[in-house]
Amino acid sequence: MTLFLLDGLIVVGLVTLAYQAVSSRSLFRGIIHFVVFGLTMALAWARVGAPDLAMAEAAIGAGLTGALMLVAYRRLVEGRSDSPADPAPAQSRLALPIAIGSGLLVGVIGLSALFSEVEPAQAGQAVLSELQQVDLGNPITAVLLLYRGLDTLLEVAVLLTAFLAARAVAGADGGEGSATTPAPETPMVGALLAVVIPLTVLVAIHLLRAGSYEPGGAFQGGAVLAGAGVLLILSGRIAATPVAGPLIRMGLLAGLVSFMLIGLVPLLKGSPLLALPGLWAVYFIETAMMLSIAITLILLFAGGGGLKRGRNG
Amino acid sequence: MTLTDDVTLALLLAGCGFYLAGTVGLLRFPDVFCRLHALTKADNLGLFLVCSGLAVHSGEARVVSLLLLIWLVGLLAATVSAHLIARHAHQHLATSPEDSNEQR
Amino acid sequence: MVDLAMPGMVLFLLLNLLAGMLRVYRGPTLADRMLAALLFSTTTVAVLLILAEWMEQPALRNVALLFVMLASIISLAFVGLPGREELEDDRQ
Repeated sequence: MTLFLLDGLIVVGLVTLAYQAVSSRSLFRGIIHFVVFGLTMALAWARVGAPDLAMAEAAIGAGLTGALMLVAYRRLVEGRSDSPADPAPAQSRLALPIAIGSGLLVGVIGLSALFSEVEPAQAGQAVLSELQQVDLGNPITAVLLLYRGLDTLLEVAVLLTAFLAARAVAGADGGEGSATTPAPETPMVGALLAVVIPLTVLVAIHLLRAGSYEPGGAFQGGAVLAGAGVLLILSGRIAATPVAGPLIRMGLLAGLVSFMLIGLVPLLKGSPLLALPGLWAVYFIETAMMLSIAITLILLFAGGGGLKRGRNG
Repeated sequence: MTLTDDVTLALLLAGCGFYLAGTVGLLRFPDVFCRLHALTKADNLGLFLVCSGLAVHSGEARVVSLLLLIWLVGLLAATVSAHLIARHAHQHLATSPEDSNEQR
Repeated sequence: MVDLAMPGMVLFLLLNLLAGMLRVYRGPTLADRMLAALLFSTTTVAVLLILAEWMEQPALRNVALLFVMLASIISLAFVGLPGREELEDDRQ
């Protein structure tokens, strides 16, 4: 009975919060609902026994996206106060066709998925039966890198594409310093950063290493590092620059490039593509991916191409 | 039912009691500073009691130290958050009475 | 006994959160609404820790650690906001 009430409360709460987040009359209340939705979502993932997802949701869903929305809200209000409000953009004539088109697309994919011959998902079973041989204790990492390598590679590629698209939209000015809040002149923020930043680095490394035998991994570690970066940006310790330096560029590409290079090597020996040559490769790729994910997320948040020491740095 | 269980249960229940106190304070206190005060202090004591209850229940050194770390970082984060929110509320004190009109 | 009580405590804390959400609606200041988010982040930590013990999922303690580490991001992003909800009536 208690369990039923508990799960029911989470489910009803999620739906209500999601509705409130998009329908609230006040933007700020909508943002608060969104943050709370993210926290509840993490709780739901925890309840269904998926700590990996709960970690990612806690870091990205509630932390990063919530902060991004608050910063966007501030810029919206500030822009409003010193310039006359822009007239609401007229509804584009393309809106309806695009909506219908996307609806049809989703429908077709859904229908084809419904009627196609479903192959049983073998990765999960294969990994559970061979977990001893591959020497990885965490089945999720094993699936991500050994059995579904292509999917993981494409996810990293998608993240890079998203970053490039954001750069294209942001324009050349790079929105320098726009994500920094007017720095609160209080020593407490410095004290917080002095404790939390080293701890995040430590936890990220732990999650990366632990990812091979318990929940964690490159995505979680990267998200935690990105959280540390966002804290530094918000407090003015680092700021965005329009153009990236060589280190940042290398960091952005590290995950994708190292995954592809190590994945291509087996072809020379006649093994299938992306058949990783050993456990060292898993760790190497995971580390590179973690750095790339963290840097991409930080730059997406900062709205710039590169990073420099900020005004409080 | 052993002594450990008794202690765990008592600590957890006390923790839940402080969480309840924090929420009641958040809802019933008259202005933003009182609410902030009630919420951050009661909730951190609640977190401490829950952590110690679970530490007694588990008893493993690794778990106990992790719980201690979580509580300490939580304490720091709550302190700084409370400070920052209080500064914001204080800076915008002049504008807040207008807002109370839109209460519903 | 303790294992039986834990789901009840999680439920109790969630109901606590539900009550706390009232503050988001009542306001009146932005800081008041923000407090509800603060309540959520501290309470969910306790919920996660209890879940970790009860469901025997030690990894949930790491999730709780992430929560407390990253809880201050939202507060830090909040400081720069202006005092009033100026966009209140702009949307129809």
